[in-house]
Amino acid sequence: MSSLEIPSTFAMEDVRRTVLDNGLVVLTKEVHTSPIVTAMIWYRVGSRNEELGQTGKSHFLEHMLFKGTERFKKGQIDLITLKNGGGNNAFTSHDFTAYYFNFAADRWDVALEIESDRIINCAFDPEEFEAEKKVVIEELKTGLDSPWGLLLQEQEAAAFKVHPYRNPIVGWLQDVERATVEEQQAYYRRYYHPNNAILVLAGDFETDEVLTKVERAFGSVPAGAPPPPMLLKEPPQRGERRLIVRWRSKVPRLAIAYHAPQIAHVDSYALQVLGVVLSEGKASRFYQRLVEREQSVTFVSAEYGESKDPTLFHIRAEARGDHSIEEIETSIYDELGRIAGGQLNEHELDRAKHQMEAHFILSRERTLDQAILLGQIETLYDLDYIDSYLPRINAVTAADVAAACSRYLNEDSRTVAVLLSDGSEPVEDDESEAG
Amino acid sequence: MKPAELGVRRAFEVHSHVLNNGMKILLVENPSLPTVSLNASVLTGARYDPESKAGVAIMASRLLDEGTQTRTSFEIADAIESVGGAIEADGSFERVVVSAGVLNKDVPLGLELLADLLMRPIFPQEYVDKEKERTLAEIASAQDRPQVVAGWAFNELVYQDHPLHRPSHGYPETVERIERNDLLDFHEKYFLPNNVVLAVVGDFRVSELLPNIQDTFGSWRARPIVFPTYPEPVRQSGKRKKFIRMPAQQLNIYLGHLGVRRTNPDYYALQVLDTILGGGAGFTARIPQRLRDELGLAYTTFASITMTAGLDPGRFVAFIGTSPENMRLATEGLVNEIRRIREEPVTAQELQDAKDYLTGSFVFSFESSPQIARFLVHADVYGLGFNYVVKYPEYIRSVTIEDISRVARMYLDSENYTLVVVGPVDGAQ
Repeated sequence: MSSLEIPSTFAMEDVRRTVLDNGLVVLTKEVHTSPIVTAMIWYRVGSRNEELGQTGKSHFLEHMLFKGTERFKKGQIDLITLKNGGGNNAFTSHDFTAYYFNFAADRWDVALEIESDRIINCAFDPEEFEAEKKVVIEELKTGLDSPWGLLLQEQEAAAFKVHPYRNPIVGWLQDVERATVEEQQAYYRRYYHPNNAILVLAGDFETDEVLTKVERAFGSVPAGAPPPPMLLKEPPQRGERRLIVRWRSKVPRLAIAYHAPQIAHVDSYALQVLGVVLSEGKASRFYQRLVEREQSVTFVSAEYGESKDPTLFHIRAEARGDHSIEEIETSIYDELGRIAGGQLNEHELDRAKHQMEAHFILSRERTLDQAILLGQIETLYDLDYIDSYLPRINAVTAADVAAACSRYLNEDSRTVAVLLSDGSEPVEDDESEAG
Repeated sequence: MKPAELGVRRAFEVHSHVLNNGMKILLVENPSLPTVSLNASVLTGARYDPESKAGVAIMASRLLDEGTQTRTSFEIADAIESVGGAIEADGSFERVVVSAGVLNKDVPLGLELLADLLMRPIFPQEYVDKEKERTLAEIASAQDRPQVVAGWAFNELVYQDHPLHRPSHGYPETVERIERNDLLDFHEKYFLPNNVVLAVVGDFRVSELLPNIQDTFGSWRARPIVFPTYPEPVRQSGKRKKFIRMPAQQLNIYLGHLGVRRTNPDYYALQVLDTILGGGAGFTARIPQRLRDELGLAYTTFASITMTAGLDPGRFVAFIGTSPENMRLATEGLVNEIRRIREEPVTAQELQDAKDYLTGSFVFSFESSPQIARFLVHADVYGLGFNYVVKYPEYIRSVTIEDISRVARMYLDSENYTLVVVGPVDGAQ
């Protein structure tokens, strides 16, 4: 086996981790290639923390954080971003909620002022809340109009019976419709504290100077009560689950999900390698078999992503021509059986490792990407994960991949979701006025 | 805080060369990461496809890596993926792009594969058949996305007989008609060194790379090219409307008309206009502020005329995705904002904010090697000049309130437009 020759260029020695007295974790990384600073704040709250009947709260909260505080009125955050030639956005996942600003290095401090204000002073104007609810509902509907959005939502709800990963991040429509500003505000108070947050700064600055600014901006924000722990655990699945979703499409789609472990689990590295072996690039197993040889799909993907709690290993494929879902499934299971049976060769394994290594380097060029990596890993697990990642991937053997494949990707722990036509047809109407 | 005065600080020296066969080489050393980004653009595309065989350019692009005189499809994939690199071939209306990302030590391999794909593709019959089937399947799959269906219908109505009326990958019936010989002809006609721009950005030395490029591409023979011509697209008079019923949660609404070329001297004034009307940071522009933030009609709504400006005129598009009961409110909202920016001058504050945004955020377009490589090709194709990174803020700063009113009246129309609505139109109000 060849070893990975390139040293990790994501130099963790440049990263400094500081904890303020109020518990705020501050991660700083100087990057002097462009005069840019990315400022992110991460909260350890996402849809996994939501109670039944109250789904979608974390995501809704993310929207409300742009609707103003006493100091920064509605619209001000975007306006400040505009005037300073910056960019801002936010995203919510099962495990976290994150906000970012990208600014030129000579004017980025305003991000600290905004974040240290809205961590505690979000306004929750009832009128703004109701107006934004409509926007959130439109966002939710956009997701339902996407075939994969709908299919994966139904699949997750079937694969998890107990764990909140069963709920869509944006929430169930019925929950969002009935959400109240009081509940939303209580949720904010429970989870938005410096001791439940991570500030990540990456870019063109001097660390010591920046830490003084951070202390000035955030030092006086009081720590909150520790958020309640999330105790729900998914019981083991005892047999295949299967579901059909009827939709307007004529193209059948297949989604297979297997229960898989959380980030940094000893088997998680082999599962990541497995995902790449199966579907990354045209030389990969699924591509060669399903797209090239059997021509039964337009695309096929296999993916295992890092998450806080035990998660799913996803396989997705879109049927092509007259090929049936049964035929595609059979080939997928056959290929998995071969790998579990030890038929993965060293060349394939090496290729996958090189792809993962290069991806790790190539995808960290922008300061925003670096800040996302740091924030995500600190939120989900521990920063040590970053340094140990490539060595651990490199240590994965063909036997490890076979063992992980057979242990996790087996019939009894899979949920198979199929999207099939509901028989509807589009109808067109033309109308024109001659001018 | 003083307004944005930010240049692109990173050393950005462009080494520009023309090989004896006419191939343009643009190189930028960027050692911030041990990687190299290569982008070879052939200056042809779906705009030149014959109507009866629409889809030739895109199909040819996608078959470039499916077999050459020296390598099989699998050998190409395996060679690049085994070193952790990636190579991609794809086309658009005006370009065929072969791009690769590799670690610095693998640049020779990257170049060799690029040359192989550009100079020696063989379009194996087996893969032509596969690609046809696959394209048909992908068209069928794309029909499931209301926003895509709306975009296609919108282009048909706006461009009429102009080549941009069709999807770049063609229609099912034209894709069926494409033969291997059409692809070979396409390659023979346009894939010539005098029609290629190669941009390489990343961790290398020009003095070492340039001789390597010369060796790799020097033997490629130049030939004159005759490009097909077609009539100018015509701005519509009157309204054109189309409603496509599809069971869905939301209506996808496109409203607009023919736009401008990238080389239009008013491009920069229009960029400022776009920022005020439908783009910018967050929801600061008029359309998202009014229709999303105030009325709660949509999650996604925007407008732009510069986004699609290319060698051919692009489109002015105002888009909103909204629940069916909001159709009238949403459509009127879009038209009102178009009318308002035509009839009333923008405020000095709006103008200043938009300029600060555009000049300040310009730097974010040059953060990574692939971005810089794409920019180099872009700058060459549209004749922007490599001092563009210095010039751009000046272009933007010179725009006045009067310019905005003038270009709004000249290029936007709140009466003569195309409206396409896709979704549950029966429940629409």
